[in-house]
Amino acid sequence: MMVKVLYFAAAKDIAKARDERVSLRDGATLEDLASEVARLHPQLSSMKRSVRFSVNLEIASPSAKLSEGDEVGVLPPVAGG
Amino acid sequence: MRKTATKITTSRIDSGQVLASVEDRSAGGSVLFVGTIRTKSDGKRVKGLTYEVYREMAEKRMKEIEGEVRRKWPVVRMAMVHRYGDLKVGEVSVAVAVSCEHRAEAFEACRFAIDTIKGTLPMWKKEKFGGGGEKWVRGTPLET
Repeated sequence: MMVKVLYFAAAKDIAKARDERVSLRDGATLEDLASEVARLHPQLSSMKRSVRFSVNLEIASPSAKLSEGDEVGVLPPVAGG
Repeated sequence: MRKTATKITTSRIDSGQVLASVEDRSAGGSVLFVGTIRTKSDGKRVKGLTYEVYREMAEKRMKEIEGEVRRKWPVVRMAMVHRYGDLKVGEVSVAVAVSCEHRAEAFEACRFAIDTIKGTLPMWKKEKFGGGGEKWVRGTPLET
């Protein structure tokens, strides 16, 4: 299956991409996606502890199951205001 | 009363208009918080800031924040406006206004709203320094 990954702020700078489509096996979890993203962009490992993932606009835990067409956000620590 | 929907925008924020939008004859107290771009950060001169946002998620989050605030305090009206894109020193980045029957809950509700915006809205800012160079501001990891 394919999911759409969006990168923001420092993660976008490191990945050198705003978004990309990532292929995963059916039944894959967010954790599987995180591993695939880390393989595609090894430099992102520097942010590994602080980055969070959203699935379809909601913060999700690593065990969350992904589906075809899901939108996953790669979110560094936030600093609005 | 002019209407200010809670929103995320690239346009200049008129804080007076945000305050006016929460006026209501049943409210005895209104509190306005205005966040502006300051001239110094860690002793370095700041030229401006660039805000980035995950827009759809931030809009959804702002609605949730309004819901949380209204569950905790008897809010009559509230408005939250956050700007993104390139901002210069002195410009308004965020404005939050809350009106309640009494002042104590208006202060508390407004404080909670701006703190929750800062800690949970998917937004990021990059400082651009007067002497050249730029850096992403260290933020708060989102809670899962």
